[in-house]
Amino acid sequence: MTQVAALLVLGLGGLAPVAHAAPPGAADTAAAMHAGPAAKNTCLDCHRQLDDPRLSGPTKHFPEDIHATHGLGCVGCHGGNPNDPEMTAMDPDKGFKGAPARKDIAEMCASCHANAEYMKRYNPQPYIFSMAEFRTSVHCKKIAEGDLKVATCTNCHGVHGILPPRDPRSPVYHANVPFTCAKCHNAEYMKGRTVPTNQLALWRESVHGVALLVKGDMSAPACNNCHGNHGAVPPKTRDISVVCGNCHGREGELFAKSKVAETLEFEGKRGCVTCHSNHGIRPPTDAMVGTTGEGVCGRCHAAGSPGERAAAVIIPRFHGFKASLARADSLIGVADRLGMETASGREQLKQANDALVGLRAAIHSFSLPAIETAMAEGEGLAGKAEGEAREALRDWRNRRLGLALSLVVIAALIVLLVARIRQAEHPTA
Amino acid sequence: MERRRFLTWLTRIAGTALGGFVLYPVARYLVPPAIPEAATRRVIAAKKNELAPGSFKTFPFGAQPGILVRAGDGRYRAFTAVCTHLGCTVQYKADERLIWCACHNGRYDLDGRNVSGPPPRPLEPFVVHEEGDDIIVEKAGTS
Amino acid sequence: MRGRLKEWLSDRLGLESLQHLAEKKDIPVHRHTFWYYWGGMTLFLFGIQVATGILLLLYYRASADEAYESVRFIMTKVSFGWLIRSIHSWSANLMIGAAMVHMFSTFLMKAYRSPREVTWLSGMVLLGLALAFGFSGYLLPWNQLAFFATKVGTDITGAVPVVGNFMLRFLRGGEHISGGTLTRFFGFHVAILPALATAILGIHLYLVQRHGMSVPPSVEDAGGPSRRMKFVPHFVLRDMVGWLAALGLLALLSALFPWELGIKADPYASAPAGIKPEWYFGWMFQTLRMLPSHILGIEGELVGILGIGLGATVWLLAPFLDDPRGRGQRARLMTALGAVAIVYVVGFTLLVYRGAKP
Repeated sequence: MTQVAALLVLGLGGLAPVAHAAPPGAADTAAAMHAGPAAKNTCLDCHRQLDDPRLSGPTKHFPEDIHATHGLGCVGCHGGNPNDPEMTAMDPDKGFKGAPARKDIAEMCASCHANAEYMKRYNPQPYIFSMAEFRTSVHCKKIAEGDLKVATCTNCHGVHGILPPRDPRSPVYHANVPFTCAKCHNAEYMKGRTVPTNQLALWRESVHGVALLVKGDMSAPACNNCHGNHGAVPPKTRDISVVCGNCHGREGELFAKSKVAETLEFEGKRGCVTCHSNHGIRPPTDAMVGTTGEGVCGRCHAAGSPGERAAAVIIPRFHGFKASLARADSLIGVADRLGMETASGREQLKQANDALVGLRAAIHSFSLPAIETAMAEGEGLAGKAEGEAREALRDWRNRRLGLALSLVVIAALIVLLVARIRQAEHPTA
Repeated sequence: MERRRFLTWLTRIAGTALGGFVLYPVARYLVPPAIPEAATRRVIAAKKNELAPGSFKTFPFGAQPGILVRAGDGRYRAFTAVCTHLGCTVQYKADERLIWCACHNGRYDLDGRNVSGPPPRPLEPFVVHEEGDDIIVEKAGTS
Repeated sequence: MRGRLKEWLSDRLGLESLQHLAEKKDIPVHRHTFWYYWGGMTLFLFGIQVATGILLLLYYRASADEAYESVRFIMTKVSFGWLIRSIHSWSANLMIGAAMVHMFSTFLMKAYRSPREVTWLSGMVLLGLALAFGFSGYLLPWNQLAFFATKVGTDITGAVPVVGNFMLRFLRGGEHISGGTLTRFFGFHVAILPALATAILGIHLYLVQRHGMSVPPSVEDAGGPSRRMKFVPHFVLRDMVGWLAALGLLALLSALFPWELGIKADPYASAPAGIKPEWYFGWMFQTLRMLPSHILGIEGELVGILGIGLGATVWLLAPFLDDPRGRGQRARLMTALGAVAIVYVVGFTLLVYRGAKP
C-alpha cells in the first residue's frame, strides 16, 4: 500500500506542472497524452485477445481513432494504468473510471474539447466545443431528464474509432450526416414519441438532398447546416427560415425586408418554410407564383384580396416575358438548323436568362415596383435576343433571294449564249 | 440584223448583271467589318472613364460574360463572370469589395479566389490593358 | 478609242501572234466532243479556287489558337464571308470531280497516245497536286472532323514501307498533329502547291496547244471527224455555257448548303464516330478498310497501300503500256482496264457512304 501511495505521490508530483494547466480530472488524461502513440498500451494488448465481442470490439478500430493517432490511449478517457499487464491496471484507486455513464459522456468529452488552451496544443485553430451550447439542445435536455434513448457525443461521432469530420468514412462527414441522424430519427426508433420521422425520406428527394447525394455538390445543406451541430435546436423553438438566407442571400435579404415576412412574423407563422417547405424542398417552379393550382400565394391570399390582385398583375406579364424568351430560343434554334451562325444571339439570350434568375429572386421582395423593374430589364434583353434571331432568319431569306436572282441572270445568260452559238453556226440572214 | 443586235445588247446587259452579282459581294467582303477580328482572345471591354472607382461592368467575351471591376484604388481587374459553382453570372459588391454571386451567396476576392460560399474554384482571371481611350481585356496565358 | 488602245498594246505586247494562234486553233467535232470541255471546266474551277482562296487569305489565321475562330469570323462577321468560304469549299470538291471526269475520259479516248505522253504525265501530276490541295486545305478550319481525318490520313501515309515514317513526320511537322502541322499545311496550301501547280499547269496547257486536241481511235477509224469547229468563238462560247452552269451550281450549293463550321478541334477528345476522309480519298479508304488484317503473313494495310501504288503506277504508265496506235488486243485490254478502274473507284467511293446517316 505504501508503495502504491508512494507511486501515486511521485506520479502526481511529477505531473504537477501539467496539473496546473489542466482542469481536475484531466490530469491522468494529460499523462496519457504525454505518453505518445508508441507508448505501451496494455489495455489494448489484453482486450484484443478476449473472446467476448463486447470486450474485444473496441480494439478493432481504435488504432485509427483520431485520439489514438494523437497519442491519447485508452486511459485518456477510461483512466487506469497502461503499463500494467494485469487486471490491477483497472484499479479504481489508480484512476480507473470504466465506461462512463451515458449522462456523463458529454461532460467527459467536454473536459478536453471545451478547453481552448488544451485543444490549441493539437491545432492552433481548434473547434472548441461549447457545453453551454449543447445544453440548449433537446438531446442534452432529455438526457438530463433521464431519457437515455437520445443522442450524445458517441452516437454521432462514434466511440472507439472516431474519425475527423473531413474523413469520408466518418459518420459526421458532410454527406453521411443525414444517415447518421436517421439512425434514431426514424419511425421505429421514435415509436411512442410525437416527433415526425419522415425527414430523411423527404430530404433525400428534395433539391438539397439530390444536390448533395446525387450531384456531389458539397455546398448543399445536410441536417446540421440548418439545425446546427451540437445545438440541434428543435425546429419549433425558432423559425428555421432565418437559416435559409445564409446561402440564398439575395432572396433572404429581399424577403426579410418584405411585407410578407413582417406579417408572417406578426402572426407567428414560419417564413421561407411556409411556401417552400422545410425538408421536402422541391426546385421552385414559376407556377408557384399564383393563387390557383400550384400557386402558393393562394394558401393565405383569398381571391379579391390586395395580395391576389397584385399577383394577378404580375403573373401574365411574367408569362409574357418567359414566352418572349422561349420564342427567342426557338427562333435561334431555327436559325441554327438553317445553317446560320447564332453565337451572338445566344449571348443575348444568356443575358436575358440571367435577368430571369434575377426576376425570380426579385419576387421575394413582394414589392410590385421592384418586380416590375426587374421584369422590364428582362423583357428588354429578351427582346434583343429575339431581334438577333429574327435578323439571322432575315439574312437567310436574303441569301435565298440573292441566289434566286443570280440564278435567273445566269440562266438568261446561258440562253443568250446558246442563241448566239446557234446564230454563229446557222446564220439565217 | 435587228435581232442580232438586240441579242448582243441583251447579252451585254446580262453579262453586266452577272458581273455585278460577282463583284458586289467581293467588294463588300474586302471592306473590313465593324470589329476587325474575332473577339475571343481580346475585347474592348469599356471606355476609359466609363467606370467610376468602386463600380463594375459585365461585358461579352467570346460566348461567355466577363466582369470588369474598377476597384477603389482605381485599378482594373477582369475575370470570367461565370460562377464556378452552378454558372450564374457574378457581380461586384463595392461595400464588401468582393465579387458576389447572387444565386447561392458565393464570394470571390479581387484576385478571383473563392473565399466564401459554395464556389469550388477561383474565377479565371483575364489580363487588362489600357490602350488610349479603351480598356482592353485579353485572355491570360500563352499568346 | 478602243481600237487605238488595242493597237497600242498589240505593238508592245505582241498580242497579234496570240490572236493569230487563237484564230488558228480548232476543235474536232464528233460523237465524243462533249468530253473536251472537262479540262477547261477543271481550269475554270481552279481559277475560282485561286480567287476565293486569295480573298480568304485576307482574314484567315493559320495558328491552332486562332484558325477556327478566324473561320467563324469569316462565316459570321465578314460581309459575304459565308459565300466566299462556301464557294471555296464546294468548288474544291467540284474541281476534283471535274479533274477525275477529265482524266477518265482522256484515258478511255486514249488521248495519251504519242505524241501526248508528257501531257498525260503532267496531267496525272496535276491530279496529285489537286488531291494535295484538298488534303492540306481540309485541315485549315481546325475542326474536329478535319483534325481526326488528317490524323487517319497521315497514319496511313506512315504505313508506306521504307519512307513512310519520314513522310509522316514531314507532313505532320512532328510525331503528332499539332499547331505545327497546321502551319506547315498552310504553307503547302498557299505557297508550295500553287507554285508547283502553276509550273505544271503551264507545261500542260502549252502541250495541249502544241499538239492540238487528240481524236479517239474509233472516230479515226470511221474516217476522222466530220468537221472542225473554231476554238474562237464557237468552242469558247460553249465552254462559257458550261462555266456559267458551274457558277450557278456553286451559288446554289453555297446558299442552300453553306459549308459547316463544325466544333473546334480538341486533340484530347476521343475521335468523333464515323471519321472518314473527304470523298475523293474514299475509294482508297474503303479498300484499306475492307482488307483483312493479314494477307499471307503481310499486314493487310501494307498490301493495300502497295496494291494501290501498283495500280496507280500502271495507270500512270498507260501511254507506254498501250499499243502506240491505240488499236488491237492490247488497246482493248487497256480500255477494259479503264472501265474496271472507273467502276472500282466509283463503286468504292459510294460504299464509304453505305449505311452512313446524312
